[in-house]
Amino acid sequence: MALSLDLSIETPENVVLRHQLAGPAYRLAAYAIDLSFMFLVFIGAAIALSFIGGHTPGLVFGTMNLVKFFLEWGYTITFEYFWNGRTPGKYLCGLRVMHENGQPLSWWGALIRNLIRMADNIPLAVIYGSLVGQVFDYAPIYGIGLLSIWFTPKMQRLGDLVARTVVVHERRTALPRDPVIYDHIEPLSRDEMNGVSPPSDTLALIDQFLARRPVLTYARGHELAGDLAEGLAERLQYTGDRKHLKRYPMAFLARVYVTFAKAPTEQEAELLGSRESRTASQPMVEVAL
Amino acid sequence: MTKQRFLDQRGKVWKRFDKLLQKQRGARFARLTPREIAEFSRLMRELSNDLATIQSRDWGQGLVVYLNDLVVRGHNALYRSSPDRWDRSLDFLLVGFPRLFRQNFGYFAVAAALFFVPFVASWIAVQNDPTVALRMVDAAQLDMVEQMYSGEDTESEDEDETAETSEMDSSETTGDAKDADAITDSTTEENDDEMFGGNFADQRAGMAGFYVEHNVSIALQCFARGLLLGLGTMYTLLSNGLGIGCITGYVLAQGHGERFLSFIVSHGSFELTAIAVSGGAGLMLGDALLHPGQRTLLDALRHRGIEAVQIATGAAVMLMVAALIEAFWSPSPIPAMVKYVVGGCLWLLVAMYLGLSGVRRT
Repeated sequence: MALSLDLSIETPENVVLRHQLAGPAYRLAAYAIDLSFMFLVFIGAAIALSFIGGHTPGLVFGTMNLVKFFLEWGYTITFEYFWNGRTPGKYLCGLRVMHENGQPLSWWGALIRNLIRMADNIPLAVIYGSLVGQVFDYAPIYGIGLLSIWFTPKMQRLGDLVARTVVVHERRTALPRDPVIYDHIEPLSRDEMNGVSPPSDTLALIDQFLARRPVLTYARGHELAGDLAEGLAERLQYTGDRKHLKRYPMAFLARVYVTFAKAPTEQEAELLGSRESRTASQPMVEVAL
Repeated sequence: MTKQRFLDQRGKVWKRFDKLLQKQRGARFARLTPREIAEFSRLMRELSNDLATIQSRDWGQGLVVYLNDLVVRGHNALYRSSPDRWDRSLDFLLVGFPRLFRQNFGYFAVAAALFFVPFVASWIAVQNDPTVALRMVDAAQLDMVEQMYSGEDTESEDEDETAETSEMDSSETTGDAKDADAITDSTTEENDDEMFGGNFADQRAGMAGFYVEHNVSIALQCFARGLLLGLGTMYTLLSNGLGIGCITGYVLAQGHGERFLSFIVSHGSFELTAIAVSGGAGLMLGDALLHPGQRTLLDALRHRGIEAVQIATGAAVMLMVAALIEAFWSPSPIPAMVKYVVGGCLWLLVAMYLGLSGVRRT
């Protein structure tokens, strides 16, 4: 089973990039959209040809067959290769196909992963072949492909495994939120403590702890924060109300953080804020994985 | 360097990079001026450096994610597939594909045996005792086949039309493709006049589209399902071999040999060979799973997969050639003798193409 949704890739610039792998729900949603596009194109072509080709019924028959052939085999290959790993459905769901090593999808890669689709979609093609097969030989309920996505660490279907490709989210969907408490808490005053400032990794720890505060129960969070808060108080030779500290250790930690780290700065807020609004404008299908 | 000073210094640069990214959205660098392109490349390296710095400090996850996404977008824009070299596709067909085919000849040999042995067997069986055919193919289909090649056009137009359509439907639904295809071949020869009522060129063009869709789909499925330990491929090869052999034997037993053979001899060269070639590619996938050798299972699959898909692509192109021959040449009113000669030449051509094209001179 996949334990992490992250895929780390080292770039030629010697920096490690993290991509978020796309799970089966997003991928099925993207495929469903693609399938409806294919259906619309097929119907559209049929209507258009029936107007144009009244005198050449043979040509209409042949062209419709070619359209069907293209939709069955060429649609995903062409889009993914020429549009940097995206099909219309993937684009709307914010997904992209790329090679495991971070390189963009190659021609043979696109070909392999989309031809082997025919092995990934097997149970449905076999079971419903006579019903759905009239229009296409498959519909978006993959059997083998789904199992493969579930049981491989990088969530790949068979076609992905052979072609060495992964499907990733173009942008992260879940944003870490800054704890609201920073905006409301008072910084420590100078005369309550000595001049030593805590090390930066301690401040980072506080920041991460408070950011994840909502996933802990109050009692457990209180317990965890208590030790750190008392240790910090010793170090800073805090002269304020020790009882208050014992009762609200998390508030004390937040005060320390605000005093020394002043987070988040206006600049950071601006950068992250602009990013937030951009992500929000992306159409995202909210599906629980 | 504190977080604050870092942000002061670098924030402007990040925003500039974001702006450049937005300007060349979709990785269209033509939208940027030469100076901006140079700047983009420089900023990409600078931001990579910044990201590495931030990843090594504990300055909050939000900042890391923000910069990571910026660099990912830059990376996607900067690193693309090698530019399209479509002139290479001819090179692939004339040199690369035949070479790969010869390197993996064993798989083709097995696939060909899986296809041609049942083909010949059912041909002989049916020709000796035509009633055997009923066990493999519908009586209605056999009637139709016989009628196509008997040259007696006794049926009315309407009946022919319905017969043809229902037959096509069944070929779609059963997936038992080639035998139905063989019937379609013969059907069209006689009945296109009734079916489309247009001129010869129009009917031919129509059937060409049908043959491309039908035959290439079968070949590619035959290839892809080889991934299931080769079982999917074997099923396709065996069932098609039996079906086509059955039809052939039946038509010959009814005494319409010349019409039938002169029809299929030309395009059969490309079509039957290509089915076996794509079957061989499918068996390569299955064999990679069964005998990975010194490699891990996945590695073996990937290594053979890239070769197998190239061979399958070659087979698909061969089938498109076959579809054109089948649609435009095979049904044309030309003396059977000429068709046999041309067909023989085509078989020779296919053999030479796969056997000799791209051989290195020593």
